[in-house]
Amino acid sequence: LAATEPSRSQREPSSGGVGAPAGEPGRPLPAALLYRRCDPADLPFEMVSELEEPSAPIGQDRAVDAVEFAVQIRHKGYNIYALGPSGTGKHSIIEDLLRRRAERAPTPPDWCYVNNFVDPAKPRNLRLPSGRASGLREAMRRLVGELRAALPAAFERDDYRARREVLDQQFRARSEQAFGELQRRGEQRGIAMLRTPMGLALAPRRDSKVLTPEMFEALPEAERERIQHELEEVQGELEAVMQKVPQWEREHREAVRALSRETTGAAIALMMNELRTGYRDLPDVALYLDAVERDIKENADDFLPPAQPREGLSSAPGFEDAITEARFRRYQVNVIVDNGEQRGAPVIYEDNPTHQTLVGRVEHIARFGTLVTDFTLLTPGALHRANGGYLVLDAQRLLTGYFGWASLKRALNAGEIRLESLEQLLSLASTVSLQPEPILLDVKVIMLGPPLLYYLLSTLDDDFKELFKIAADFDDRLERTPETTLIYARFIAAVVRRKKLLPVDRSAVARAIEHLSRVAGDADRLSTGLRGIVDLLQEADQVAAGSGKQMVTAAEVQGAIDAQFRRGDRVYRRLQEEIGRRTIRIESHGEAIGQVNGLSVISLGGLAFGHPSRITASIRLGRGEVVDIEREVELGGPLHSKGVLILSGFLGGRFGKTRPLSLNASLVFEQSYSGVEGDSASAAELFALLSALADSPINQSFAVTGSVDQHGRIQAIGGVNEKIEGFFDACHITGFTGQQGVLIPASNINHLMLRHDVVAAAAAERFRIFPIETVDHGLSLLTGLPAGEPDAEGNYPLGTLNHRIAARLDAFAAKAAELARSVAAAEARK
Amino acid sequence: MTQPVTRVVVSLDAVSETAPAIDTAARLAAHWHLPLHGVFVEDEELIGLAGLPFARQVTLATGLGPLTKDHIEDHFRAFAERSRRELAAAAARYDLQWSFEVVRGPLATAALGGEHDLVVAGAMTRPVGDHYRVASRLLSRTATTARPLLLAKCRWESGGSIFALLRRRGPQSARILEIAAQIAVSAGSALTVAGPSDPASIDEFAAWVSGLLEGHSLSLQTEAAASEPAALLQRIIELDCRLVVLEGSTDEAEPEELRKLVGRLACNVLLMR
Repeated sequence: LAATEPSRSQREPSSGGVGAPAGEPGRPLPAALLYRRCDPADLPFEMVSELEEPSAPIGQDRAVDAVEFAVQIRHKGYNIYALGPSGTGKHSIIEDLLRRRAERAPTPPDWCYVNNFVDPAKPRNLRLPSGRASGLREAMRRLVGELRAALPAAFERDDYRARREVLDQQFRARSEQAFGELQRRGEQRGIAMLRTPMGLALAPRRDSKVLTPEMFEALPEAERERIQHELEEVQGELEAVMQKVPQWEREHREAVRALSRETTGAAIALMMNELRTGYRDLPDVALYLDAVERDIKENADDFLPPAQPREGLSSAPGFEDAITEARFRRYQVNVIVDNGEQRGAPVIYEDNPTHQTLVGRVEHIARFGTLVTDFTLLTPGALHRANGGYLVLDAQRLLTGYFGWASLKRALNAGEIRLESLEQLLSLASTVSLQPEPILLDVKVIMLGPPLLYYLLSTLDDDFKELFKIAADFDDRLERTPETTLIYARFIAAVVRRKKLLPVDRSAVARAIEHLSRVAGDADRLSTGLRGIVDLLQEADQVAAGSGKQMVTAAEVQGAIDAQFRRGDRVYRRLQEEIGRRTIRIESHGEAIGQVNGLSVISLGGLAFGHPSRITASIRLGRGEVVDIEREVELGGPLHSKGVLILSGFLGGRFGKTRPLSLNASLVFEQSYSGVEGDSASAAELFALLSALADSPINQSFAVTGSVDQHGRIQAIGGVNEKIEGFFDACHITGFTGQQGVLIPASNINHLMLRHDVVAAAAAERFRIFPIETVDHGLSLLTGLPAGEPDAEGNYPLGTLNHRIAARLDAFAAKAAELARSVAAAEARK
Repeated sequence: MTQPVTRVVVSLDAVSETAPAIDTAARLAAHWHLPLHGVFVEDEELIGLAGLPFARQVTLATGLGPLTKDHIEDHFRAFAERSRRELAAAAARYDLQWSFEVVRGPLATAALGGEHDLVVAGAMTRPVGDHYRVASRLLSRTATTARPLLLAKCRWESGGSIFALLRRRGPQSARILEIAAQIAVSAGSALTVAGPSDPASIDEFAAWVSGLLEGHSLSLQTEAAASEPAALLQRIIELDCRLVVLEGSTDEAEPEELRKLVGRLACNVLLMR
């Protein structure tokens, strides 16, 4: 398909600059220059359904190249900041680019956290090829289940019980032999061994009864001494035996443990070997399984049923289940990244980037009144999920998200994800928590944000420059050519398909293209605000559906545009209404000295509109100062003040070479109660000042916009369409005279994409747009008098405006000199 | 008609394993809807021993140390309080009416309870270390016990069987057989009654037993008792006994034999002289 829409330079003769159209000097612009139409007949299709979708992002070659470059470099720091105005499609373009590249990239590995059997507070991580982590998790779950059946059975078998009985018997026999012999020797000497609440005691006996103190005292002294002596002897032996008991018990426990290890080892050997078979190629997993086996052998009791229910607790609901579950948690595998279903590298968009959502969380559960945690409660963050791929973040949300930016930088700098709670990070909690082994990080981060944020970060954050070396700069406009028009048509076709909109014909596309030029504020450019065009298409679809139409045409697109404006124009209509009621005083006919209609643009929400203001100037004897009243009351911004100061420069340059400028002038935006910024009113201010100086009236049918330099050249300004339409609407409300119009910088002609009613009024010569290139040019149009060119000596011809200004300045200078002399004489008389 | 049991009394002290006794006593009281009474005995022999000028005790924790009357009494109070709490907890579990008292006297069950009480006492002392237990002095003092005494060595378990060894047929035998049958019904255990070793009189013995236990819904069998102690022990093991019932006139109920039997068995013993 070949697009055939002609450019403006092809349609209109150019009088200055390459491709820059211009009207004839002193003549209003023809209607053809006020709006660059997109003729549906020039579009090589009837319906967008005939078109293929665009193969590349629209008009973002620079940004796309940057992204393509960055994703190919795997070195540290080549992360991307995609900067551009909102609505330019950064997100969708980036995501589309990344997904296409990610599809061809290798799938990253799975990651798990497992128990560290040496130090449970420091969980270990395991890296497995994609899709194998969940297998390990299931294998471990099955292993525990099988062991819970197999180990009790192994410990119930006769061979174990017999060996255990032998062990117990051996140690019991050793104790009984030692104590029994001692007891027998004691009994032979009339001494009994008694169990006391805490231990053992020896007591002298008579007739199977322990001697009472009274009976003992009644014995002869020799007998008492004998008993005491013998008792002490046996007591010494008892003490010696008792000292051996702990050692015997230790030996018994160790023997039982060894038997338990041996029994467990035999019972689990087959299962562990089967499990290992599947992971022989993964040394870390094999080491983990070794640790699991050792732990099971050491803690085989955990797999056996409890010897007896715990008194008082056995009836608590869920208690036994909770105890059992807690015993076996350490053998679980916490798969934090499972790429089993992933094809290629992941592309993750995290819409709430905070510390926790980026690096993960250490969660806790309440267990019997306390909050506890372990490795199974480690939850992954976006960095884990994006590891081995791409992570897309919104810059503003990242910077305002709780510690998100700091944690991201930390991870990127370290090249690892350290999963820790925010309390730990900030040293706010003194409780012992987990310190999981960090996970190696290999991710490309793409931040999406406005240009201002990029420039601020580049200036103020050294880490940013190191970590985000690539800027993908998204443009907000592209050149309007037949080719780009067709690309947009294909984009519209894609939107229609994806959003399942009503069929769209070429007239609708043409109107949308014209609207994109208007949004770009340039007849030769198209806005890349893709979100805006998608919104417009959806709303046009709704307009069509609401009126029962089966197709979207130019009328529906226009309906949607009108509706968009109408939804936001309450303040604009109120201002226009007050102009009509003359509450806001705007003169749109007649003449006035030192007064001109200036134009400004007000932006409210998503709507920008033009608003006329009276700019007035007054002059008096003085020392050559031009006073900007807006600045004096701090309502004028620096650019506005700069524009006013330029006026002094212009006056000095043109008229101050041969005479002192013995005047002061005041400039003001009448009925302006809020701030004024920009220099687009400086030409209007100069015209008001020169009118006051020349004492020549300005035709109030005109409004003026444009900035001026010190040499009197008129320069381009922004918002030209809104400004013209603002004055047009004011004239409409105060009554058209057929003489009204707007003076604009000639260099703004290319930007004209005016409303159809304005263009129609211009075509009918009811409203006129004059391009001006110099102050003199504008002054002649506004006053109807020639400006006048200076002769070789710098004098202006009689009857010209400049001559009148020079004469007025001469008069001011003479008066000033006379006053100076009077003052000097008065001083002398004193 | 035998005298019915109207109360379960559990004998507690500072040196016996009391948990099996409390558990068994509470379960029986619950099954029979009887009150439970705990008696903590402060052993006067130990107090007497502590009064001797050279009294010492040896413990695993501190080795050789003095044994004073104050020391012993402090421990008695602590153990009595612990026993009271355990008894209260068991009563609460089974929703029992219960009472508790502390008495000072000899460590024997003869003075405990009344004529219609079943006395339950721990059969073992607490171990010194993991293995060694001094023989309970209760076992050597059962000769004077004139009422049913259940020596609890293990926690209550349902099922299995109860083995009653009755060498003669008298009122005491009839009474203890009646209690054994009630326990068998409560525990869902089979009851095996071993009578005279003489095969000729076994039928008559069986008829006597059947007559006594008529009306009890239980699995009952009678047999001739093994004459050899080893064979008798083997039979008890084969039957997976939860309780061995001894009538006081048998040789096995003699204190020394009883001590050996309790040491070898892994079940409780019901005794009545």
